[in-house]
Amino acid sequence: MKRIITLNVNEKEYEVAVAPNRTLAQVLREDLNLLGTKIGCDMGDCGACTVILDDRPVNSCLVLAVQANERKITTIEGVADGPHLHPVQQAFVEHGAIQCGFCSPGMILSAKSLLEKNSKPTEYEIREALSGNLCRCTGYQKIVEAVKAASQTMKK
Amino acid sequence: MKEFAIINTRLPKVDAWAKATGDARYTDDLSMPNMLYGALLQSPLAHARIKSIDISRAKRLPGVKDVITAKEAGLIKYGVSPARYDETVFCDQKVRYIGDEIAAVAAIDLETALEAVSLIEVEYEELPILLDPFEAMKEGVIAIHDEFPNNICAEVHQEFGNVEEAFKECDYIRTDKFVNKKQDGAFIEPQSCIAFYDLNGNLTLTTSTQTVHYVQRTVAMVLGLPVGKVRVTKPCVGGGFGPKASANTIELASSILSMRTGRPVKMTFTREQVFQHSRARHQFWHELTTGVKKDGSLIALKNTCHMDGGAYSSFGIATVYYGGSLLGAPYKLPNMKYDGYRMYTNKPANGAQRGHGGVVARAAWEQQLDVIAEELGMDPLEMRLKNMMKRGDTTCNDFNMSSFGMEECLEAIRDGSGWKKKKGKLPKGKGIGVACGFFVSGAGFPIYRSETFHSTAMIKLSEDGGTINLYTAAADIGQGSDTILTMMAAEAIGVRYEDVRVLSGDTDFGVDLGAYSSRQTLMSGHAVKQAGEDVRDQVLEVLSRNFKIPVEDMDIKKGLIIFKKKKPDFSVLRSTYIKEHRGWVDPPVGDELTFKEAARVAYFEKGVVVGRGSYKPGDLGGKYKGAAVGTSPAYGCSAQVVEVTVDMETGKVTIDDMTDAHDCGFAINPTNIEGQMQGSLSMGVGEALFEEIKFDDKGRVVNPTLGEYRIPTALDMPNVNTIIIESNEPNGPWGAKEVGEGAIMPTIPAILNAIYDATGVRVRELPVTSERLFTLMKEQEKK
Amino acid sequence: MHLLPKFDFYEAYDMGEACKVLAEMKSEGKIIAGGTDIMVNMKKGLLSPKCLISLARIPGLSGIEPTSGGIAIGSNLIVSKLLEFDLIRKKYNLLSKAASVLGSPLIRNRATIGGNIVTARPAADLPPPLMAMGARVVLKSKGKERELALDDFLVGPGQTKIKSTEILVSIIVDEPPPFTGGDYIKLMHRNALEIAIVAVAVQITLDGPDGSIKNARVILSSVAPKAIHAVSAEKVLIGEKPTEKLFKKAAALASTDCTPITDIRGGAQYRCAMVETLTHRALSAALRQIKGK
Repeated sequence: MKRIITLNVNEKEYEVAVAPNRTLAQVLREDLNLLGTKIGCDMGDCGACTVILDDRPVNSCLVLAVQANERKITTIEGVADGPHLHPVQQAFVEHGAIQCGFCSPGMILSAKSLLEKNSKPTEYEIREALSGNLCRCTGYQKIVEAVKAASQTMKK
Repeated sequence: MKEFAIINTRLPKVDAWAKATGDARYTDDLSMPNMLYGALLQSPLAHARIKSIDISRAKRLPGVKDVITAKEAGLIKYGVSPARYDETVFCDQKVRYIGDEIAAVAAIDLETALEAVSLIEVEYEELPILLDPFEAMKEGVIAIHDEFPNNICAEVHQEFGNVEEAFKECDYIRTDKFVNKKQDGAFIEPQSCIAFYDLNGNLTLTTSTQTVHYVQRTVAMVLGLPVGKVRVTKPCVGGGFGPKASANTIELASSILSMRTGRPVKMTFTREQVFQHSRARHQFWHELTTGVKKDGSLIALKNTCHMDGGAYSSFGIATVYYGGSLLGAPYKLPNMKYDGYRMYTNKPANGAQRGHGGVVARAAWEQQLDVIAEELGMDPLEMRLKNMMKRGDTTCNDFNMSSFGMEECLEAIRDGSGWKKKKGKLPKGKGIGVACGFFVSGAGFPIYRSETFHSTAMIKLSEDGGTINLYTAAADIGQGSDTILTMMAAEAIGVRYEDVRVLSGDTDFGVDLGAYSSRQTLMSGHAVKQAGEDVRDQVLEVLSRNFKIPVEDMDIKKGLIIFKKKKPDFSVLRSTYIKEHRGWVDPPVGDELTFKEAARVAYFEKGVVVGRGSYKPGDLGGKYKGAAVGTSPAYGCSAQVVEVTVDMETGKVTIDDMTDAHDCGFAINPTNIEGQMQGSLSMGVGEALFEEIKFDDKGRVVNPTLGEYRIPTALDMPNVNTIIIESNEPNGPWGAKEVGEGAIMPTIPAILNAIYDATGVRVRELPVTSERLFTLMKEQEKK
Repeated sequence: MHLLPKFDFYEAYDMGEACKVLAEMKSEGKIIAGGTDIMVNMKKGLLSPKCLISLARIPGLSGIEPTSGGIAIGSNLIVSKLLEFDLIRKKYNLLSKAASVLGSPLIRNRATIGGNIVTARPAADLPPPLMAMGARVVLKSKGKERELALDDFLVGPGQTKIKSTEILVSIIVDEPPPFTGGDYIKLMHRNALEIAIVAVAVQITLDGPDGSIKNARVILSSVAPKAIHAVSAEKVLIGEKPTEKLFKKAAALASTDCTPITDIRGGAQYRCAMVETLTHRALSAALRQIKGK
């Protein structure tokens, strides 16, 4: 049986009817057309589907949409301020932190979430915060450099 | 040193903004009106005869629009190389591995499609399972393919020089064995496709592929369609690394289902299906015998290689050649003998993965060279330098090193890593190792025999002259070819980066063999450069006629026309342009004539302004059988130093530091080059320490997840001291050549050599798990 | 994509309601906490409960409350939040060390302490430190409540003493007495996103600053169907002065206390050897902690 739930996604309220067996990742992609949330493994192993749920990055493939009822969700589409990229996004662009880009939405959300809690992370803290987001292209170095650079810009 | 406006700078990638904001679209993000969802029935058994298939219950399920098996799909054989077409869309008589495709369903949603799959009834007669390639090649065992009674899919025997004679001159000869494990590409985006056969008889296949051209040809052949009626296009692709470089079953099945239903059909692999489809790195068993002189000169190499091919050929016939040919360089080696065997087994087919065929051979040999250096009392880095080929040298198997910055690479990593201070001086548990490698800059020949161009490019100017559309079928799969080709087009014409819009990865845009064998910077780059220069020349010729100024007295830079001598009066031209474009936001301003205005003049004269470019390599030498695998217009090369810490009580290896120098000829975009280098090293670290597809005794993959198939996390990769070497390749556009694969070559052996330095243990089986190393250290202690 | 099987979803707003629904569902209902384990199993087709009952909206299940001798941790507390309590980092550092290496940050933001216990995975990260600290679990069912030592609660892979009508509501941990130290060491392939090859948790208490070992718990994980006590190691430690020699002896005994299997993460023999190494390291670290080094 479908449930009517309310999702607050990127500061916008959505009322959706969902069956309990649908994941948040599915509902974001299929019902809300927020396709920036990627599905890489669907088992919580890769982090491509990362969204921020009540201020914490989570694998949206392991959250039921009904569990997210009335909760606050930020997807990659909600990170930029209109045409202005978030400092983390800007740094990813400038530092070559994006190759195939499939991990980038999740990576950016994990990084953003880190910098909101810890504005001056050490390299280890950055790497740890990103350790649930797999990237096969970059070797992580330019991603880490980008997060460091973003933390500098955000301090200013 | 020539100055460049666009190339050789660190411009952000053209697709970076879209990818940073979530706007970038990958295949599974797309949908079409009236679209059906497909699902596959795959074999639960590794080897069995199909006695019967009953699809009647599946067909009756409400919402199911079509169910197809070999009966409906036909039995046209396909594969990668025409020499070994051994696959059909669906299994006919037999299934050959767990995951082999038997049927496909198209239904109104995925849930219905999956339910229908569960309603298909198949009766099997189980057959003996062959999982070990050495068992598979024994006399009298069952043949996985009837045409190959000993299960030998391909064998190669090559000899250059005379190895046995050469060994007689050697002062020191040693033999070592080495084995890796079957690996996975582990790109983060699973394969996905949407096929739509329209009422005009055109099939459009949107798919996550590295090679739109090869997929187009395969689909056309299997479906019996004219090639021109099949359009294959790729949106953003989330990594490929080899396994996405050939047509797969979902592409074929979706296309057939769409033809039959008249509706678009989408199929996407689950992660488990990605592992089952595989087509990634083979398992190799190498036995290498190397002979040297006392002074360390390499004299001869005998290389015997057995490969576990899995159930089908895939890229394997090329792989089995590469397993030998890629040891021909980077050292001067006058004698080389190679015997390679690729066996069929009842496992997912193995194919190509970054560093195709050469990575494991390289790991084996570079470790052996380290042993030899130690036996001879030489510094391993110095021994490598001593044997290093130079620019212009040709290998015994006819590879010409038209540029070769290998000495510079070695010197750079020696100095960049502090090698001299560290080698032999680190405490127990800490180690440093070195290795070298090289790779082709594009296969010299297409995978099918043809005189085809390898790359074509077309550049079309917009009527206002302000936008330059670049059309190429080259595939950006994340490595950044869209960016590189955009930069090249802008440089060749003389316009700004942002003036060029790249349209790529579509068979409608031309011919390009695609993203494999590290070919696009060189090959697609040549075509784009040529097309850009063509446009530039056309515009300048028109200007020349208008202003009566010789072409050679003009140039285009940063979107402006440079008059080397006297600047003509172009005020009439400008006021006409502005008048025509009244109300537009971007009237040309400033003291210089803009390219935009010049292009407008060209448009008035020509109507369509199109620049054309096409490339195929010239004669690459090598007349022996198999010379087509490994000959290339250019070779990239790299050297690495790795430092490790080994926990002597657990065997756990930590990679502390990596120094990598890669000769890419000329850096079109240094940021992209570094990204390729660092990414290659990361894959190498995974393969060295963690990665292994494991099977149970029934042939089932027991770790088909990214949890149990371990690629490095951000906490497993160190930063890499990344050094770019430029050697100015004469056969490359602006001197550029490969970087995408050569950089993985030295990684594994450099790690192995560092582990030896730390522990005194030689590991000759990958991956070096803590358990494997611990066990070897214990054995060593007992000795 | 993997589709989840169909199920009904019930979100309880208080404990009584949750117990009632669970009782009504007989054994066909399952509690969903963080969902990081159950959803994976459901996607793989290994589990297909008729109803999932969520505890997320029940107040008071996600905090840490002081008790007379220690703390009660709400079963629905997520692992990353556990790491944020100063109290846990300072006084129950063994637990925070284990929490910090559980899965990945993304998993830690969903997985709960209760879920990590009830799913009873032989390699779960939180049971070993909790057992080393002598934790007890509180189980509630309609109108009833009982307390059980975690040692007794865990039975085997996926199996516990929980009844189909019961809900794990809190975990009670006594404050470590003076002169107590502990450590949790997890041997992993990668440095994140991992399940232990072997893990060892140790807590020792001395009878004075330079005294003898009054109490010792040595817990071995991923080497038996559930986390177990290294009984003979504990026995040899108690009553003795903590010396290098003693720790070596205890570590060697610990490796005889386990019964590992060979699976895709590691071989039995290696695991036994690692139990010895990790036990020795954990004991030494525990002593260093006591000595304030």
